[in-house]
Amino acid sequence: MRNRKRTGWHRYVNGVSISTLVTALFIIVPLYWLIATSFKNPNSIGSSPPSLGPTPFSGGNYSNAFVGYDFGIYFRNSVIVTICATALVLALGTLAGYALGRLPMRGKFTTMVILLMISVFPAVAVLAPLYLLMRNLGWLNSYQALILPYTAFNLPFAIWILRNYFLGIPKEMEETGRIDGASPLRTIWSIVLPQALPGLFTAGIFCFTACWTEFLMALTFNSSNNFRTIPVGIAEFGGNFQVPYGTIFAASVVAVVPIGILVFIFRKFVISGLTSGAVKG
Amino acid sequence: MTALSSTPEQMVAEPKLVGRPDVNRQRLARMGWAFTAPALLVIAAVTIFPIVYSVVMSFNNVTVTGNGFSLDGFTFSNYNLLIHASLWRDALYFTLYYTLITVVVELVIGTCIALVLERLAAGRGWMMALLLIPWSMITVINAELWAYIYNGTYGVADYILNALGLGSPVILGTPTPAIIGLMIADIWKTTPFVAIIVLAGLVMLPGDVYEAAEMDGASGWYTFWHVTLPLLRPTIALAVMFRVLQAFGLFDLPYVMTGGGPGTATQSLAILAYNALFKNLSFGPGAAVATSTALLVLLGCLATLRVFRAQVGQEGS
Repeated sequence: MRNRKRTGWHRYVNGVSISTLVTALFIIVPLYWLIATSFKNPNSIGSSPPSLGPTPFSGGNYSNAFVGYDFGIYFRNSVIVTICATALVLALGTLAGYALGRLPMRGKFTTMVILLMISVFPAVAVLAPLYLLMRNLGWLNSYQALILPYTAFNLPFAIWILRNYFLGIPKEMEETGRIDGASPLRTIWSIVLPQALPGLFTAGIFCFTACWTEFLMALTFNSSNNFRTIPVGIAEFGGNFQVPYGTIFAASVVAVVPIGILVFIFRKFVISGLTSGAVKG
Repeated sequence: MTALSSTPEQMVAEPKLVGRPDVNRQRLARMGWAFTAPALLVIAAVTIFPIVYSVVMSFNNVTVTGNGFSLDGFTFSNYNLLIHASLWRDALYFTLYYTLITVVVELVIGTCIALVLERLAAGRGWMMALLLIPWSMITVINAELWAYIYNGTYGVADYILNALGLGSPVILGTPTPAIIGLMIADIWKTTPFVAIIVLAGLVMLPGDVYEAAEMDGASGWYTFWHVTLPLLRPTIALAVMFRVLQAFGLFDLPYVMTGGGPGTATQSLAILAYNALFKNLSFGPGAAVATSTALLVLLGCLATLRVFRAQVGQEGS
């Protein structure tokens, strides 16, 4: 039944292909609307009924996002915060993941369970004390105000993923290194790490996506125009009366393209991360 | 000759390395904690310390002063306020049924998509790549996009409903349509994620079970209900648990799309806490909302502790 042979036009038009098409349209149509609107003439966006395509085609919204609004600044801020946090997560996560996966420590199990629980904790539970802490440190409206919490919130998942990869590497390889007299850090760097590269990709792309899309903490800690990240910037576009959807969508397309390309390149690792137990939605 | 003569040396050297297992073990354990310490310190500084401080704040009269806040004595009044405020109950109720409905719908549609994609001969890779787009979408953008679609004067949803003769409801201005609108936006973003997880579970199922079912003459529906679904249960249970626990933090989508409105119809616990803390600057009650939310998540964790431990133990042994 599962591999029933089909002949004639049934080979192409059947339940599976129609359902696939419906699924694809379900995802594509809203995306099409986002992109099409971003290329419409800024003045024709409020027309009713809405026109199906971007005619006349216009790049006005894009120049407006960068010139009329400060989207360039938001983009730069997002890049800095995301890259720093991801690098920190990978560095600290590799060390911790290696230790928790490989070294004979007591309390490893409890540590992992607690880490897993922290990874599902809502950020709003820590918002007020963190805000006070940042204020006392004079960190409100700074890059470190986001880099530190992003690192902390993404570390549990990275440790989890990396530990699982370290567990799967044969012990003999490492012992060879140790017998050769290499220091533990040297062993990790040149023997274990290359083996765990897929794990690093997975942890990295998840951390990158989470930082790129985070909204609540960015809204609370970095509200000044110079330190806003993309999500906050897009949410605060426009005045009280008219929401400039054309500009918002042009900025959105620019914001979604880098992450889309990264996810596409690393899709194998994203899927392996999604399916490796600790899942993040 | 040389090879032969080196053998006895190795035999002497080998026992020496493993000769003092306890000392070696202790040294490695110390090194392990040294490796883990930086990560744990960062996590503790940003999560555990603030959670404790949140609890302390929620049991205090917090007064806003010129350059900060002061805690003026122990009190239950914040929680008292909470229990008797309809706002908190409404937010809790909204968060709970919003979670329940979206997770169930996402699970049903996601499983259907996974079942279809499993039978797809060509192009499955492309479909997977397509499914990842909503997953990686910034929630704020998702909210703006659907707010535009639902817009009362030039939104396409309004136009379609009109053309179908269903009139033109003010979607985001009326409670029930606004809630449904939010759910649709959520379902669009999260269903693909569920589909990917279920698909991965499906692909890993043993094929011989199906052959046996087919030989017994089981129908497709029967096979799905009695063979596929029970085998998929662990995968689905884990996904549902994480989705439900995360849903307690629901903030971005309603905050941007409806601002918690109309009225307080779409005000989640996280929005209530955020507004109390940063719009009204009532830090005591705000901390109480945040703490009670954290407590609910903690209870959820403890109730499903078995799942967490199984997850860790699975790979550990």
